[in-house]
Amino acid sequence: MFADLRRITAKIAERFKRRFYGRTFNCPVCHFELAVVDAGSNRLLVCPVCGVVIDIEEVYGHAVPVVLEVELYRPQPKARIHPLATHVPIGLYPFAVLGAVLLAAGSLARPFLPAVEPLLARAPMIADATLVLLVLSVGLSILTFASGLWDWNRRYRRRSYRQIRLKIAFSILFLVLGGLAIALHASGAAFSPASGLIDLGSPASIVLAIVELALLSAGMAVIATLGHVGGTLVFGK
Amino acid sequence: MQFSPSAEQTELVEKARAFTKEYIGPNSMKYDRSGEFPREICREAFKQGFMNPHIPAAYGGSPHTVLDHCMVLEEMATGCSGIATAIDANGLSQYPVILAGSDDQKRRFLAPMTEELMFSAYAVTEPEAGSDVSRVKTSATKMGNDYVLNGIKWWITNGSVASWYFVLARVDDKPTAFVVPADSPGIIRGPKEINLGQHASNTVRVTFEDVKVEERNRLGDEGDGFQIAMKTFDHTRPGVAAGANGITKAALNIALSYAKRRRTFDKKLISNQGISFKLAEIMTGLDAARYLTYRAAWLFDQGEDNAREAAEAKWFAADVAMKAAIECSQVLGGYGFTTEMPAEKLIRDAKIYQIYEGATEIQKMIIVGKLMRMKEVH
Repeated sequence: MFADLRRITAKIAERFKRRFYGRTFNCPVCHFELAVVDAGSNRLLVCPVCGVVIDIEEVYGHAVPVVLEVELYRPQPKARIHPLATHVPIGLYPFAVLGAVLLAAGSLARPFLPAVEPLLARAPMIADATLVLLVLSVGLSILTFASGLWDWNRRYRRRSYRQIRLKIAFSILFLVLGGLAIALHASGAAFSPASGLIDLGSPASIVLAIVELALLSAGMAVIATLGHVGGTLVFGK
Repeated sequence: MQFSPSAEQTELVEKARAFTKEYIGPNSMKYDRSGEFPREICREAFKQGFMNPHIPAAYGGSPHTVLDHCMVLEEMATGCSGIATAIDANGLSQYPVILAGSDDQKRRFLAPMTEELMFSAYAVTEPEAGSDVSRVKTSATKMGNDYVLNGIKWWITNGSVASWYFVLARVDDKPTAFVVPADSPGIIRGPKEINLGQHASNTVRVTFEDVKVEERNRLGDEGDGFQIAMKTFDHTRPGVAAGANGITKAALNIALSYAKRRRTFDKKLISNQGISFKLAEIMTGLDAARYLTYRAAWLFDQGEDNAREAAEAKWFAADVAMKAAIECSQVLGGYGFTTEMPAEKLIRDAKIYQIYEGATEIQKMIIVGKLMRMKEVH
C-alpha cells in the first residue's frame, strides 16, 4: 500500500512538473533538469548549477544541447542569508503542524479514552507553542523570500528559470497559507484558547479546525516542494 | 518511374512527423530509462489511426499500403524505435490472420482491435529456435475438437500486454499455426527481458502448459504453419527496414544539429572535413536504404514476390542504422558517450535491427537462394 501511495504521489508530482516546466532536458554536464522554454529567443541558456552556456535545439522531439561556453565568474552572496534563513522555516514548520495534529488527535480521543485526560491538561501549552512556531516559521520565511530574490538578482542575474519561478510562486502561496493558519489559530475559533482543544459540541469549531489542518497540510506540501527545488538548485540532480 | 510521394502520402507522413515530435521524441528517454510499456502513447497512436494499419476495411480497419506504412514507421522510429515497435508490433501477429484466417477468425480477432486499444503478439521464437524457425518444439496434441499446447516461446514482443498470440506449434511433427487467446488457462507470461536497447518495447517469455485451443482457432490446415509464418515476413520486413531508417534519420539529425552549432578550433564542427564527410556518408546510406525499403514495400503492394528485395532492404537498412548511430556518437565526442544525450541510445536500439525478424545472415541466405534460381542478373 505504501509503495502504491508513493507511486501515485510521484505520478501527480510528475504531471504537475510537466505542466509547469513543459518540455525539459538535462544539462549534459551536471544533469540538472532544465526547461526548454527558459532558453531565450537565441536558444541560449546558462545552467544555474554548473554555469555552462547551452545552445538548445530540438530535432524530432529529441533535445540536443550543445555546450558553447562556461560562465566562470558567478557571484556568491557574501552573507549567504538565503541558505541559512531557508532552514529555519523548514525546520520549525513541521513542529507547528505536529502540534496542531496532536491537538486534533487529543480532541477526538478525549470522549473515548479517559486515560488521556491528564495529558490533555498540557493542551493549552501545546496550542500556544504551535502558534509561536507558526509565527516564527512564517515570519522568518519573509526574510527567506526576500534574500532569495536578492540571490536571484545577484547570482542568477534575474534569468528566467522554471525552478525560480516555481519557488517565487510557492513562497507567496506559503505566506498566504501560513498567514491564514496563524490568523485562524490566534483567533481561537478552531482550537479553544482555554482548553487548547476543538470544541466537538460546536460544528463551527469542527469545520474551522478542519480548515486550519488543511491549511497547515497544504503549507507542509508547499514548503517541502520549496526545499526540494531549492536543494536541486544548489546540488544539481 | 515515380520517386515523389503522392499528396496523400505527404499528408500522412506530416501527420506522423507531428505525432512523433509531440509524443514519441520528448518521451523517448523517459521510457528508455524506466522500461515502462508506453501504453499512453499507444493510446494516442490508436486515436490518431497509426495502430493496426493492416486490418482490412471489411473488419473495421482503415488500411494503409505497405509503402505508406513504411513511411509512417520511419517517422515514428526517428522519435524512438522502442516506442515505434510497441505501436507497430501488432502487425506482425495480425498479418498471419489476414493471410490465412477465415472470415470468422478475422471477425473474432481483428475486428475488436479496431474498436479499442488492444495488443497481440507473434509467438514463434523459442529458446532453441530463433533464425531456424523449423526447429520449433512447442507441441500441439489433438484431443477431440481441441488441441493442447505445451512449450516455451521466447523474446515475444508485446508478450505481457497481448490479448491473443499467433503461435507456431507442431501437430505430429507438422508445423501448424494457431491463434491463442491470452486468457487461456495454462499461459504463463514471464517478466520483461532487460535487453540492450528498445527498452520501451515489451519482450517476455511466454510458457504454454497444457493450454487448450479450439480447433476453430487453427489458421489454415495442419502443416501450413511454417509457410504462414514465413510469408508474414515478406509483408513485415520492409517495415523493419523502415524502423532502421528511422534510427539512421535520428542519428543524422542529431549529429547535424550538433555539428552545426558546436565550435572547435575557432570554427564550427561541421567545417572540419572529417566530421562533414561522416554526415555525407550517413545521408547517402539513408537514401540508399530508403529506396531499397520503398521498393520492397511497393512490390508487395503490387502483389509481386518481394522476398529478395525485402531481405535486401532489411539487411542493408539495419547495417546503415548501426553505422549511423556509431558515427553520430563519434560526432558528439564525449557527449556521444553520455546517457544525457540521445546518441548512445541509438547505438543500443540499432543493434536489434541486425538480429530480429531474421538476422542479417539469414537475409543474405534468402538473397543467395533467389540468386541461385537466376540464370543471369539484369
